[in-house]
Amino acid sequence: MAKLFAAALRCAVVGCVLLLTAANVARAAPADAGSALAVGLQLEPPVLDPTVNASAAIGAVVFPTIFEGLVRIGPGWRIEPALAKAWTVSADGRSYVFHLRPQVRFGDGTPLDAAAVRFSFRRAVAAGSLNPQRALLAAIDGVTALDSLTVGVHLRRPDFTLLQALGLSAAVIVSPRSAATNAVRPVGTGPFRFVEWRRGEAIVLARNSAYWGLQPAVARVTFKVIADPNAAIDAVITGDVDVYPAFPAPEAVARFERDPRFAVETVLSEAKTIVAINNRRAPFNDLRVRRALSYAIDRRAIVDAAMFGFGAPIGSHYTRSDPGYVDLTGEYPYDPARARALLAQAGYPRGFSTTLAVPPLSYAERTAEVVAAELAQAGVRVKLVAVDWVPWLTQVFGAHDFDLTIVAHAEPLDYDIYGRDDYYFGYSNPHYKALLARLELTADPRARRALLGAVQRTIAADAVNLFLFQYPDITIANANVHGIHSASPLSDIDLATASVSGDGAAPGSRADLPAGAATAFAALLCIALVWLALRAGWSYVAQRALSLALTLALASLAIFAVMQAVPGDPARAVLGIHADPAAIAALRRQMGLDGPFLDRYLAWIGGLLHGEFGTSWTYHESVARLIRERFALSFPLTLYALTLSTAVALSLGIGAVRWRSSPLGAALAAFSHVGLAIPSFWLGLLLVIPFGIGLHWFSAGGFPGWSAGWLAVLRSLTLPAIALALPQAAVFARVLQHELLELRDADFLRTARAKGLSETAILLRHALPNALIPMLTILALQFSFVLAGGILIENVFFLPGLGRLAFQAITNRDATVVQSVAIVLVAEVVAVSLLADLLAAAIDPRRRTASAP
Amino acid sequence: MKALVAGVALLCGTAALVLLSFVWLPYDPAVMDIPQRLAPPSWAHVFGTDIYGRDVFSNVVRAGRPSFEVAFFSLAIGAGAGIPMGLLAATARGWPDEILSRFNDVVFAFPALLIAVLVASVYGPGVIDAVAAIGIFNIPVFARTTRAAAIGLWQRDYVLASIAAGKGPTRIVLDHILPNLAPALIVQAAIQGSLAILAEAGLSYVGLGSQPPEPSWGRMLAGAQTLIESAPWLAVFPGLAILSTTLALSLLADGLRDALDPRRIGGR
Repeated sequence: MAKLFAAALRCAVVGCVLLLTAANVARAAPADAGSALAVGLQLEPPVLDPTVNASAAIGAVVFPTIFEGLVRIGPGWRIEPALAKAWTVSADGRSYVFHLRPQVRFGDGTPLDAAAVRFSFRRAVAAGSLNPQRALLAAIDGVTALDSLTVGVHLRRPDFTLLQALGLSAAVIVSPRSAATNAVRPVGTGPFRFVEWRRGEAIVLARNSAYWGLQPAVARVTFKVIADPNAAIDAVITGDVDVYPAFPAPEAVARFERDPRFAVETVLSEAKTIVAINNRRAPFNDLRVRRALSYAIDRRAIVDAAMFGFGAPIGSHYTRSDPGYVDLTGEYPYDPARARALLAQAGYPRGFSTTLAVPPLSYAERTAEVVAAELAQAGVRVKLVAVDWVPWLTQVFGAHDFDLTIVAHAEPLDYDIYGRDDYYFGYSNPHYKALLARLELTADPRARRALLGAVQRTIAADAVNLFLFQYPDITIANANVHGIHSASPLSDIDLATASVSGDGAAPGSRADLPAGAATAFAALLCIALVWLALRAGWSYVAQRALSLALTLALASLAIFAVMQAVPGDPARAVLGIHADPAAIAALRRQMGLDGPFLDRYLAWIGGLLHGEFGTSWTYHESVARLIRERFALSFPLTLYALTLSTAVALSLGIGAVRWRSSPLGAALAAFSHVGLAIPSFWLGLLLVIPFGIGLHWFSAGGFPGWSAGWLAVLRSLTLPAIALALPQAAVFARVLQHELLELRDADFLRTARAKGLSETAILLRHALPNALIPMLTILALQFSFVLAGGILIENVFFLPGLGRLAFQAITNRDATVVQSVAIVLVAEVVAVSLLADLLAAAIDPRRRTASAP
Repeated sequence: MKALVAGVALLCGTAALVLLSFVWLPYDPAVMDIPQRLAPPSWAHVFGTDIYGRDVFSNVVRAGRPSFEVAFFSLAIGAGAGIPMGLLAATARGWPDEILSRFNDVVFAFPALLIAVLVASVYGPGVIDAVAAIGIFNIPVFARTTRAAAIGLWQRDYVLASIAAGKGPTRIVLDHILPNLAPALIVQAAIQGSLAILAEAGLSYVGLGSQPPEPSWGRMLAGAQTLIESAPWLAVFPGLAILSTTLALSLLADGLRDALDPRRIGGR
């Protein structure tokens, strides 16, 4: 009977292997006509409609790829035709007439006509509009359709800067039919159209074959969200992205410049990096304090340390490329003594304590550290508080609840924000507002320059914020990417003119396990369970299964209880800071957030059993799907690491005992002692240098997705698995050595020796099987450790696994995701415990009658 | 014996350095010297400098403090809660034993890092987070060891004699059980200590441990990642610090186990 079963088992294993190979072979390579371009993106846009949200990340993706305006900003701020092929301005500056390009259609089929333009502008300036440039367009009094392709725009006062405003991303023309859904499914007139948005991962665009202008050379553009500077370096090196504009790791520029495979371009961007000061709050409402802070900072040091020398210091809210730039960096030269004196004058002889809200970007974190150290020299003790973007927008930007914060204002010529009383830093100066009003009325370029100079000087004199530097725009591109240089000051790269020579096929990044492998694995598992159950006895199986089910239930209760204590309101996070309380209450009821604890807990459990994990309120998509994708990486990695670890441990342990009297044995024993003290993530870091970067045998990081094939997957998972496996192997090896040495004097081994068996044979055939049983007991615990270690390793190698998902969820306060990942991890450990117990019982008959250990 | 000596020596050396850091360090770990940034190891800066010009050696030594703090407090939590629980289970048996068993199973079902993740999502990252997570994980470890050893001890002749003589269970525990548990518990504490150092390093590597401006080994390693090509020393020294401290405690545990185990007395 046993022989039959063994044979059946062997057949099953062979069958599974064949299935796996077939599944791999059968998968066709993705068909991609025309070249594809992968673009790195540091910040994922919150929405894809630039007319409803101020985030600069939106424009990076959709403007001018999907959306276009009436005009385009060319080199040197020259106004060029876009959707309007010509225009006229009346002498009094109050009336514009635009002649639209004929036969242009939006992606949804609507024609571009005067009605669409009227709709777009009315929507932008309407009361309650969320358009970030509403103030710039505020002069618009009325828009009339003179005929289907001619639009008249009337202003309530002369405004000669209107054309500039119309070239910005917030003034794009949208289709009346699809405007409401542009936030998630943007529809425009541009050279590209929207394909899909995989939250937290990528945004895909495709060539618009119906475009009115020159067809772009690339057929498909994938924006990959890679915020981590390390991951960014990695993505460029491995070719995961072809070009990365606004590259977040200036420290790597030197390395890319040396490498002929890459082209580096650094320009100064329009973004002004500042330390924003809450002018409403004491002690910052005192001009002397703000000036003291300005004297305390050393801009050059900040640029050197935080930006590795890239970037240029600024003295006011203005950049070098803007018309009429005045260098005001000398207004407050670096002088900590003077800073201290001013503070004493203002009533703070011993300084004061304050906080600095730091958004999660590498330049912000580094700048914050240097600024904090410099302010400390002046006696100002700064506590750095890491704040993720959603809380930053709510607390800092919305509720104005902050002392200091670091941010880069990317909008060009946005000095008008200093004229808004309700803007987050709370500056209010009637003199400044008067300056702005005069600017709007002035057409003469010389007069304008004078006024713009006055604008800069006023802001600097009032030390409204600490003006640090002009953010450097570092673009790193593969040498085979051409034509990405953008002439416009508004865009980092020009995708419409980009082209890729050679094979530019972007690798798929879907992490889903091939269906064949998943089924084969499940089948193998079932067979194994049945066999173990037969060997161990069904009553034992039932006992253990029930006991572990109870454990799982208790653990789920613990998880749920802990997550209830997480601060923050998910409904508010979904609807946004401007949502009204009634809508929030309704959503809370819908999300099941109200009601007694027990009801909510049971509802959650019920959902889990149906595979319903809920919806992530950061990504707005099914948690089950997120988890499934990540699981497809974490689980195989854990198995891989455990397999390696067992193999190494067996070799180490047996070797150390077999040759214990020789130096080799001593060395092996020593390694098992030292090995367990090595942090796995440190090992991973160290392994990357020779094997990942130097020899290129294995990938230095990132996961190409299962669709890239088994070899690619192995290449990317091997170093992480080794880093995980070695310390664990040391632990295993020690236990094994201990067990083997304990058995040395056992009777049955003495008999074997007497019979004349060699030491090796004794070790392998008799001692080892007995020593393995205690190893199995710790197998479950080791699985838990490898799982935990895997979470760390995912950070070293940028693997999109469950661990990273959990961390991202923590920074976003996304309780649904955290509790789902937690229950999945716990379930994994419990399942492996069951397997280990069954395996031990199957091998060692003494265990079968024992109750729970 | 060799292991014990080596372990104690290494541990004392590390501890001495960390204690010294309260009084003196070659440089103030927080002071930036930007012109000197990313300098390789030299006589002026034994371990080199980081991207802000801060002395790596001073930072590595200073970062030993949160590691030892976390290790100490998490051990205190683990032992403080675990030992009484284990004693209760071993003494009373019956349903306290069942409950303990169940509690152990539940806690062990959580990968240690996951507990830290859960605590962090509620309270935000910080040293408290690390201590709580590692401490909670230590409780069933100590409870299990205590229970297993105590059950064995309850069967001993002299304990049975005490029961016959009319001693109450509390007195027996205090007079006979606890003192004889001490060797096993001390060894366990050393083992858990080494694991705590590793765990704290891992937690601060991902940002869940001690926060800036307090330096920590894990966070130093995280920061060293992007610079691994241009400044590899930044990744080497904090890692060596973690390795040597963990190793010291692990050797200590081995040495103590050998020294205190009655079976071993008499040579091996």
